[in-house]
Amino acid sequence: MSTQTNNGYMLIFRGNEWYKGLSPEEMQRISGQWMAWYKRLSEQGKAVAGNPLEPEGKLVSGKNGRVVADGPFAESKEAIGGYFLLDVGSLDEAVAIAKDCPGLPYGAKIEVRAIAAVCPMSEEAHVRAEPALAKA
Amino acid sequence: MNPPQNSDQEPQAAEVSQAVEHLFRHEAGKMVATLTRIFGLEHLTLAEDVVQEALARALQTWPFYGVPKHPAAWIMRTSRNLALDVVRRRTVFRQKEAQIVQLMERETPSLDEAVFPEQGITDDTLRMMFVCCHPLIPSEAQAALALKTLCGFGVPEISRAFLTTDAAIAKRLVRAKQKIRQAKIRFEIPVGEELGRRLDGVLQSLYLLFNEGYKASSGDRLVREDICQEAIRLTSLLVEHPAGNQPRTHALLALMLLDAARLPARVDGQGNLLLLKEQDRSFWDQAMLARGMFHLAQSAAGEEITVYHLQAGIAACHSAAKDYESTDWRQILSLYDQLVKLDRSPVVALNRAIVLANIHGPKAGLDAIGAIRDREVLNTYYLLHAVLGEFEARLQHTKAAARHFQKSLELAETRSEEQFLTKRLQACENQVRN
Repeated sequence: MSTQTNNGYMLIFRGNEWYKGLSPEEMQRISGQWMAWYKRLSEQGKAVAGNPLEPEGKLVSGKNGRVVADGPFAESKEAIGGYFLLDVGSLDEAVAIAKDCPGLPYGAKIEVRAIAAVCPMSEEAHVRAEPALAKA
Repeated sequence: MNPPQNSDQEPQAAEVSQAVEHLFRHEAGKMVATLTRIFGLEHLTLAEDVVQEALARALQTWPFYGVPKHPAAWIMRTSRNLALDVVRRRTVFRQKEAQIVQLMERETPSLDEAVFPEQGITDDTLRMMFVCCHPLIPSEAQAALALKTLCGFGVPEISRAFLTTDAAIAKRLVRAKQKIRQAKIRFEIPVGEELGRRLDGVLQSLYLLFNEGYKASSGDRLVREDICQEAIRLTSLLVEHPAGNQPRTHALLALMLLDAARLPARVDGQGNLLLLKEQDRSFWDQAMLARGMFHLAQSAAGEEITVYHLQAGIAACHSAAKDYESTDWRQILSLYDQLVKLDRSPVVALNRAIVLANIHGPKAGLDAIGAIRDREVLNTYYLLHAVLGEFEARLQHTKAAARHFQKSLELAETRSEEQFLTKRLQACENQVRN
């Protein structure tokens, strides 16, 4: 994978069980800190998008999507609770931002991923497909 | 980006940039009470779980979308929706499902108001108060249960305040809930003759809760001050309700307010405990004092004089004095003289001895301590030895004073007490040396 082009990074908030045992007061405090954190990043232009995800949804799999299950998971360390889309220069910077997450002391887990760069081959395909897209 | 789905629809002037202090805690208390009425008291834990989940949803979404315009209504609505899910899913509710769903879904222009009207919430909170303070529930479990269900405290916060383990608090809560089931305690505000008796129990529990927060002897100071505020909040609810609006309730509220008003002056910048004598009275909360005096006046409406009346009267004397020197000790002593007749606790008698010494000197104080019935109960109480030390020091019995301060130091529970006593002890030792 090429790392030449920087398409930004994603902070993926994992785990939907770390806040289960928190007291209302703690939840309010963390909520306020998290809000301030996101606001700051947005104002600095570092966070360009972010959303929480509803806890429940569907899990589609199988050929032609034959299997539609309730999902993702009732309670799990892996479940995705939300994400930030960051416009920062490097993975290091994205990681440094993730380290400020107010949920960390309570067991929140953040996955930091680079948005994949456009590789030469797909770029070529893209160029070829362009006239068709323009018509659509 | 998705539009914020969770902001409140009804427009209102109040712009909430940051949620109000203790919002989650207080909404948790209200919603647990309301859902308990709807689910039935036997499902108290389920009500707590639903509210916990609703707050978790707030934690998950507010950071992205900001605090909703009506945060309390948002929490209520989310709790209600989650509760409806639970009712539909759980088989235990099969019998009552239709009734519960109808109760919760009753459509009117203002949905939240219809299902959870403010007066209804207060009634539910009072019902919960009568449950938590039921005489069949052991008093230490009452405090834990009240803090958990009525005040939205977490188990670790309660254990920190009570200087015990999470497991011990969890056990108390389990026992209290078992008792509720076994004794078939009802979720209701008692009426008639029973109301008077049960109200006494509630006042007693709230008084103990307040003292738990007020006594500076142990635990996390900030959590403890929160407990004082909670006791005041609950007593205020009680006094505003026809079921609790009694002179003795006003007296209890007056006592709490007058004492709590002095909290800001009770520690110095380093967190050291200050004696009444050393406090900067300009730090006393004047608004709270005024509220306290108002309720003290209200408490005089009837014939009865309770321990709360007398203690509030004592607190009022302290508050009225512009400095320590101008304290009306004779008035305080006469209130203590009445108080020791109603309250045989040796701690009250010890406090009376301190007042007596302020008027008639340390020797009279020592004699009064000597005359305390059940004095041996106080032997493990640091304050007894601190007071003895103080009296002896004033009589220039420096060696005896040092001995008492040493003993007191061994029994002290907080760093502030230790520092204070160490200072007194050193002063005595220096005097002995010179």
